[in-house]
Amino acid sequence: MSAGRALSGAGTSHEGFLRHRNFRWLKIASLAMLAALAGYALVDVQPRHNGGSWYGYLLGTIGALLIVWLALLGIRKRAMTRGRWSLKAWTSAHVYLGLSLLVIATLHAGFQLGWNVHSLAYVLMLLVIVSGIWGISAYAALPAELSASRASMTRPQMIDAIVKLDRQLHTAAQPLGHEDAAIVASSIGDDPFRGGVIARIANSWPGCVTHRALARIRERQKAAARPDAGADLAALAASAELLERKCAALGRIRRHLRIRTMLEIWLHVHVPLTFALIAALVAHIVSVFFYW
Amino acid sequence: MAFVLRTVSHSAEGREIVRSARVEGDRLTIGRTPESDIQLSDLAVALTHAVITRDGDRLSVAVEPGLSLQLDGRKSDGGTIQAASGGDIQIASHIVRILPTAAGASEIALSIERVLEGEATLSRSADRLFSLGSVLPGRRPVSWILVIALLAIFLAWPLLGSRSADPHEGLRADASWSSGKLSRAHAALEKDCTACHAKPFEAVRDTACVACHTQVHDHADPFRLARAQPGLSTWGRLKLAVKERLNLPAGRCVECHTEHEGPQTMPATAQRFCADCHGGLNDRLPDTRLADAGDFENAHPEFQPLFVGGWQGPRPMMRRASLAARPFEDNGLKFPHDLHLAPVGGVAQMARRLAPAHGFGRQLACKDCHVPVADGTRFQPVDMERNCAMCHSLAFDNAGGTVRTLRHGEPAQVVADLRDFYRIRSPARPPSLAPFARRRPGEGEAVEARREFSAGASQSGAQAAIRAVFSKGGACFDCHRIDAPAGGSLAFRVRPVAFPSRYMHHGWFDHRDHETQDCTSCHAAGTSDSASDLLLPGIATCRTCHGGETTAKPVASSCAMCHDYHMDQGAPSRPGRDRRDQAPEPMAALRREAR
Repeated sequence: MSAGRALSGAGTSHEGFLRHRNFRWLKIASLAMLAALAGYALVDVQPRHNGGSWYGYLLGTIGALLIVWLALLGIRKRAMTRGRWSLKAWTSAHVYLGLSLLVIATLHAGFQLGWNVHSLAYVLMLLVIVSGIWGISAYAALPAELSASRASMTRPQMIDAIVKLDRQLHTAAQPLGHEDAAIVASSIGDDPFRGGVIARIANSWPGCVTHRALARIRERQKAAARPDAGADLAALAASAELLERKCAALGRIRRHLRIRTMLEIWLHVHVPLTFALIAALVAHIVSVFFYW
Repeated sequence: MAFVLRTVSHSAEGREIVRSARVEGDRLTIGRTPESDIQLSDLAVALTHAVITRDGDRLSVAVEPGLSLQLDGRKSDGGTIQAASGGDIQIASHIVRILPTAAGASEIALSIERVLEGEATLSRSADRLFSLGSVLPGRRPVSWILVIALLAIFLAWPLLGSRSADPHEGLRADASWSSGKLSRAHAALEKDCTACHAKPFEAVRDTACVACHTQVHDHADPFRLARAQPGLSTWGRLKLAVKERLNLPAGRCVECHTEHEGPQTMPATAQRFCADCHGGLNDRLPDTRLADAGDFENAHPEFQPLFVGGWQGPRPMMRRASLAARPFEDNGLKFPHDLHLAPVGGVAQMARRLAPAHGFGRQLACKDCHVPVADGTRFQPVDMERNCAMCHSLAFDNAGGTVRTLRHGEPAQVVADLRDFYRIRSPARPPSLAPFARRRPGEGEAVEARREFSAGASQSGAQAAIRAVFSKGGACFDCHRIDAPAGGSLAFRVRPVAFPSRYMHHGWFDHRDHETQDCTSCHAAGTSDSASDLLLPGIATCRTCHGGETTAKPVASSCAMCHDYHMDQGAPSRPGRDRRDQAPEPMAALRREAR
């Protein structure tokens, strides 16, 4: 069962967290948003809506409690349980109630933004929600691609392939002259994972020494084709072929890496920004009442 | 002569495996080729890398040109090693160690060992390698750093800095706490949070406001104010209870004067703030003298101006009455507006004649007599000499080109001046009565006769003139009410004249805002034949243009347009009024367009 199908829930008895209990939490969250909007329209706040009116305080309290509860998923997820308050139900509620914060917090602010700690908390909340949306869409789209990219290999197998190719290269390069051997040696032992987040997401590895080594060995092959070169043509050909295979293996690893990174990176935004949001929220609440 | 080679390697479990070999001769080749005496499979080693040659107890190490190795830890391209002391030769990942050998020994022992891993092993677990955690700092430390940084910048710093900082310094620690700019009036307090937020965790109190606003009036007695408020709904009572519980007393200045709403002027108070109480005030405060008022268009009493209702001796008695009762004003003056504004007749004729000197038109207009005050809000009191005397001359003599006038406002002086005039200009006397004729002794009778003549002639003329001035057709009588003295006395008294400076003290009316209108469209002066007509327009006149807060009429008018909550007698606060005063030119242009 792939995660993608877990989301859609189609075709199996399994029900993804998004459509849990026939979208129960989507309905609840929609009701909450509608109620907040209706209140905003009906409650007359002078001179204009803001966080300091009774309605503003009400929405603010709901929003702050929601944020704390949503953050608790980080603890809750470590215990997988079934039943009414199953982890799935909890996650479903997390997603939909988290989205409803968009409405609740915006109405709490009364659409007023500025360069202050209050708007900082609001913007952090938006970033957390957007990263969450990104995460859900990544989980919906990518897992199928992820398993396809592995070509039915496990991750250790993919790494193993590289290690084996390195060994074969080492052996194959033994007859090579010092310069040619150095080219092959540069590829051997090079960390296939060397590169930053950008390289992983873009699947762009311009500094890959194996690709460079392959190109140079090919050049050497051409140069060695001349009869006076005196190089070991067979060893060069063997090295080139091995390097080519290593490039293919690296490509497989890196395609996999790209998808893994896309699947994970949102959480590296979502979680730290959630904590930043809670800190900004604390500063927001304290400041508002300190200077009441 | 021979070399004994001990090649040391390690099994997967770490066990040492030693293989020995013997090379006869005094020359030892080191390289990657299988033909080398010491074969090092490291690709960093050249096919033939170095040659060790024994020469007695000395070993010389020769390196292929362009290559290098480490001799006893130092990079070198060749050198010698004493067999007695031994030495290390490191080539790439291998160490060839020459063991110390006694002088003259036939065998020299060498151990060959791989010391560096030639290929990096992917030692970390595959999961860790594939996960982002291997290239990004962990979520936990990043979270901690963010939390600590945010709390430090946006909580700790402002908390510590708010009490101690100088309000005028550049960057305030608590600047990030401000939810918006202050109104224009309070812009100077932008960096002085504690000017209003005096105590931490205590909502802004009125004491902070009145520290500067020392002249602000209360709207009414607080107890009457409380009683006038409409009955609270359950929800209202709940809100009040919560507020009291949260130490938020009701009725604070800031409930209306909200701040941090941006650099603006205070918006006009919404009508319902007034109408809540005043809409049914008589029910809750039966002793109030104020009529109920809710909406200007359909729930506002007729105006009740304050005017001179009568006199107590010389003191005018002010009276308030509704215009609905068509009250008369007892201002002491006779003045028919209709006569003065008529397009034909004597007044118009005179206006045309005097037009070159005084700028009149074909007939008199209001502005010919009524002069606005500097700000145009209302009009200066009419002044006889300035506003009437161009027609109503008080001249009585032309003495060599100098026109002598009667003193306005001083009847006794008028009497004295006229007496004096007639005494000097007595009728022609016989020559014998010439004042400087020579007198002989015994002419006393003649002197007496002269005095009597003179007195008689002047007295009869002066008395007649004085009576004429104060009687019907006379200069004073035309405009004033005269109290004639009894009998033959000349002690005429002119009744005093009084007008209120403002008729409506609790409402504001600005004539300048109504410049687009003709005076007579509101003031029925053209049909008024008596000065006692109170020419104030009634509410119906205003309602032709002004509606309530929400209205179909051209001018929506909430309470705050005319009334001020704080009950001072100035103009009620109104957004835009100040701006207009600062920029008269565009407004004048606008008004011209409006015409």
